Amino acid sequence: MVNLSRKENHDSHHTLPPENVESAVIVKDLIDTTNGTSSSFKIIAITLGVMSVLGIIALIIKWINHGDDSTRWGYIAALVSFLLSITGGAPMVAMGPVMAKANWVRPLTRLAAIFSFAGISTIIVLIPLLFLLPPLIVDGTRRRSIWFEAPNYSPHIWGIIGMVLLLITGIALFYSAALPDFAAMRENSTGWRQKLGKKLSRGWVGTDSQWRTLRMRIGMFGTFYFFVMVMVNFLYTTDFAQGVVPGWRDAIFTLYHTVSSWQGGVAALVIALWIVRKKMNLEKYIHLDAFWSLGRLLFALTLLWIYLFYSSFIVFWYGRSENDKATLDLLVKGPMIWAFFAGATFIWLVPWWILIWNRVRKSINGMAIGASVIIFGLLLDRIRLFVAAWSVPQEHIHQKWLKQIPDTIYPDVYDIVIAIGSISLSILIIMLMTKIIPVLSIWQIQEFNLLSKPIKYIRGNATLIAKPD
Amino acid sequence: MSISMIGLFQEATPAADAMDGLKNAGFELGSFDVLTGTPYPEGAFGEHVPQHRLFRFPAFGAIIGFTLSLFLTAATQLAYPLVTGGKPILSIFAMLIIMYELTMLSGVIATVIGIIFESRLPNLKMGAYDRRITEGWIGVVINLEDESRADDAEKVLNYAGAVEIKKA
Repeated sequence: MVNLSRKENHDSHHTLPPENVESAVIVKDLIDTTNGTSSSFKIIAITLGVMSVLGIIALIIKWINHGDDSTRWGYIAALVSFLLSITGGAPMVAMGPVMAKANWVRPLTRLAAIFSFAGISTIIVLIPLLFLLPPLIVDGTRRRSIWFEAPNYSPHIWGIIGMVLLLITGIALFYSAALPDFAAMRENSTGWRQKLGKKLSRGWVGTDSQWRTLRMRIGMFGTFYFFVMVMVNFLYTTDFAQGVVPGWRDAIFTLYHTVSSWQGGVAALVIALWIVRKKMNLEKYIHLDAFWSLGRLLFALTLLWIYLFYSSFIVFWYGRSENDKATLDLLVKGPMIWAFFAGATFIWLVPWWILIWNRVRKSINGMAIGASVIIFGLLLDRIRLFVAAWSVPQEHIHQKWLKQIPDTIYPDVYDIVIAIGSISLSILIIMLMTKIIPVLSIWQIQEFNLLSKPIKYIRGNATLIAKPD
Repeated sequence: MSISMIGLFQEATPAADAMDGLKNAGFELGSFDVLTGTPYPEGAFGEHVPQHRLFRFPAFGAIIGFTLSLFLTAATQLAYPLVTGGKPILSIFAMLIIMYELTMLSGVIATVIGIIFESRLPNLKMGAYDRRITEGWIGVVINLEDESRADDAEKVLNYAGAVEIKKA
């Protein structure tokens, strides 16, 4: 009796490995997800479209009304940072495990790569900031920046080139891995999707040579994506945050921004995966293992947030020079103290205590809740940093440190509409992409089935995974 | 007249047997290949491994981008020699940002170009193909200069257990 109950308890703790699915069924199921749109999908898409248009209109009106006052653009700068973190972070997160040849990541690489396209909304919102960012020479004197002898508008030019390069590299990464699926659409889809598949598959037939080069280009673009993403985070944090605050010098800030971007990327991916699994009935292909593995990654990144924040904070705290004190007053203790406490609570404290439990990391809904909290915390954290930075009037830019801490700036109606609009545009782009190409990569799901088999192992169940090369 | 012939298999082992059979029958390496809808582990079919030069493209692209950026940053700074913070006119740390970004940009563009060459895409003449390959079937395709050895190839494919043979 005792043994039986222990066994039952043991079995309920472990989940059965996923069953293999026939290749033909995979093709049909996943191509079917692109066909037809439900009425709820249409309503959501139209609503998001309307909000996106309103957001762009609000951005234009704000530019007309406040285009000469940079202190009123802090929330937009925070929004660019937030969007950059989510749309730039998600594809990177999927690339790491792919390069490490993790099997669980195969069902989510397509969705992660699709996030790259949402970088379009980041670039749109960045445009007015490029005109508001002061040139390197202000009132005849060169301001402090990373651009020592560079031409006057270097941060503006290289900043936008970096963002566009990140978008291009993300799309190249997506397209490289999507070729076999475009071929599957050419053979199995109908109407305009079949024509699109024919055009974009470029005559892919799946020879050994094509598969080899596909593997290589995924590796190459993945590496490029990492390098470009790190660079864009570096440029944005130094030019659009540290560069506009006199005396703010923090060597860790770029790393802090990049790592929290990965944290936001994983969190966004978890939420997207949860929605796709539920709304597109893809439980057969998106297994608990994907959430569980992402949970471990998310937990580690959540702990890294506090590590990097504290590493940065302690230098200012003990430094106690005038610029150290002014930096802390501006970013932590001063006008944005509410955003600091709320941000730290939601990006670190609450998710830490949610994700610390294996039971939560192993539950699909629990992971979605934890990820949602992190996304909210990330937004607050970006508001703390960028609203505070942009609240400093540009006439103070030559000060050695900030002599007067600005008051708290709250969002105006334009900021709120622009935020809702740009986030809506990002979501809309991702939604529309799921109707162009299967949201899960057909060939990677087939590969998942090819390389993993559910087996009986002694008295338990296990998944036998082949590790090629 | 050149022809393309494909033998369709439902299992991987007979497809590998067909590849061996074609090799043993004296067909030239590179004239036959295996088509799959998902990547099998390398060497699973005993296939011929073609040489590729894909790694050269990003490397050359990066070198070109690096050289251009070195020229750009050095030339602009020498053209406008402003001393900042007592640093030399050609300060490597100030130049690194642009050099890094242009190196990446050039590397990415060269990789895209390289992929177009090395993947042999677009493949304008697809040859023999079957929709079922995307559903997990395996195709062994052989391209022949003329029909003189078509019967031999067909025999090999049939012997290995091809479910169907198509010509194009």
